[in-house]
Amino acid sequence: MTFAHRLAAAGRDIRDGIAQVHVWGLLGWQDMRQRYRRSVIGPFWLTLSTAIMLATMGLLYGRLFGQDLRHYLPYLAVGLIVWGTLLAIVNESCQVFIGASAVIKQIRLPLTTHVCRVIWRNALLLAHNAVILVPLALWAEHGPTLALFSVPLGFAVLLLNGLWIGLFLGVLCARFRDVPPIVANLMQIAFFITPIIFRPEVLGNRAWIAAWNPLYHLIEVVRAPIVEGRLPLGSWAGLAAFTLGGALVTLLLFARTRARVPYWL
Amino acid sequence: MARIVATDAVVEFPIYTGMHRSLKSAVLHATTGGRVARDAANRVTVRAVDRVSFEIRAGDRVGLVGHNGAGKSTLLRMLSGIYEPIAGSLEVEGRVATLLELQLGIDPDASGYDNILLRGVMAGLTLREIRARVDEIAAFTELGDYLDMPVRTYSSGMLLRLAFAVSTSIEADILLMDEWLSVGDAEFANKASARLEQLVERTPILVLASHSPELIARVCNRVFRLAQGRLTEEAPSPAAPGRGAP
Repeated sequence: MTFAHRLAAAGRDIRDGIAQVHVWGLLGWQDMRQRYRRSVIGPFWLTLSTAIMLATMGLLYGRLFGQDLRHYLPYLAVGLIVWGTLLAIVNESCQVFIGASAVIKQIRLPLTTHVCRVIWRNALLLAHNAVILVPLALWAEHGPTLALFSVPLGFAVLLLNGLWIGLFLGVLCARFRDVPPIVANLMQIAFFITPIIFRPEVLGNRAWIAAWNPLYHLIEVVRAPIVEGRLPLGSWAGLAAFTLGGALVTLLLFARTRARVPYWL
Repeated sequence: MARIVATDAVVEFPIYTGMHRSLKSAVLHATTGGRVARDAANRVTVRAVDRVSFEIRAGDRVGLVGHNGAGKSTLLRMLSGIYEPIAGSLEVEGRVATLLELQLGIDPDASGYDNILLRGVMAGLTLREIRARVDEIAAFTELGDYLDMPVRTYSSGMLLRLAFAVSTSIEADILLMDEWLSVGDAEFANKASARLEQLVERTPILVLASHSPELIARVCNRVFRLAQGRLTEEAPSPAAPGRGAP
């Protein structure tokens, strides 16, 4: 089989996988119900947990860093919520094929369907978390502006990136079982060097640490409209490059490995 | 039109044993140079299906026979599209349904009804199609109120009833089966057998792996023998039904 054939087959897998909305929609929905079965307030525990964490961290660090809460709290909230979603997607992506091996070896489905299931599940959880942002956006120092309309787009791009991240890590982790702990450690480091609980200004002349960090831009496209009432065009440009680059690398990797994945499970 | 054509198809599993092997090779490498380097480059592989070629057309009832480990189940998985051949080619025309290991992929924490939906959509039905069949499937299982309970509360027999009822409610052009399924107590087993019989009858192509010569003779009109992944076609026994039988 030539590479062109494989590329076409990979493209078909991605297209058909995404098109199976009824399959990943049901599976992801089921996952979410699963997690909160027999709980009274169900997934709103997530909203509540995030709110409690924000209140604690906001008050503590806001005081420590001497920040105005009407500025710092929305800043921290967006950072933590976007980060939480990203972290969950990355960690679950490592297990996406390994965890679904029983299904993969039993029923022929496009591999992308399994990734869509993970993304959809996290989109539902994100929706519960994002509720917190509504009052914060209205309360923020800067006040609501037209730039707020770009916030859903920022979330959409986050999930879109989740799609290639899921395929990329899913394939890699199915083959090399040392990758999941490596990824978990890298994400831990990334949390500390990405401006989430601190502001990028404190980096001083090391601002490149944020500028070259795609995760910073993933957060910034949601954060800047809410906290500063502006559209971060630079971050959007960086993010576009990151998304396209990641998608391209993933497509090449997936073309090479797609047919092998069931053999590795 | 249902049709399967395989040309020199190969299924080969790489076996990754992790550190042990590579460490050993690395140590040996220091003393014996070239030979081990070549050894390290050649991964250990198991060739489960070895250059098989055949054509299966509508009306064919193929029996797969062979010892344990001869490659029957792997061949079925290859036909279902799960393992794509690493060499050679395989063309499958028509919708494929599989009855392999039924319990796999059942969600123990979801209810019986939820599992019917999940199974159905994964097997290729739309939500509308599966919803239209839920009542029939539920009635067939005779599980009653248990269908509202999490599947982990089921006995293994009840679980099999559920999996069987869903898996046999689909329409396909090609049916792949690993042994004739026998489910439940005597009474239910008869009912299940009749349902399976009907499914086999209305499906254009059947590929059935079995260790039972009587079953193969009764159901199949072609016989493929597998030995160490190689496939040879044998004449069906005289009792065989279907095409070309006198």
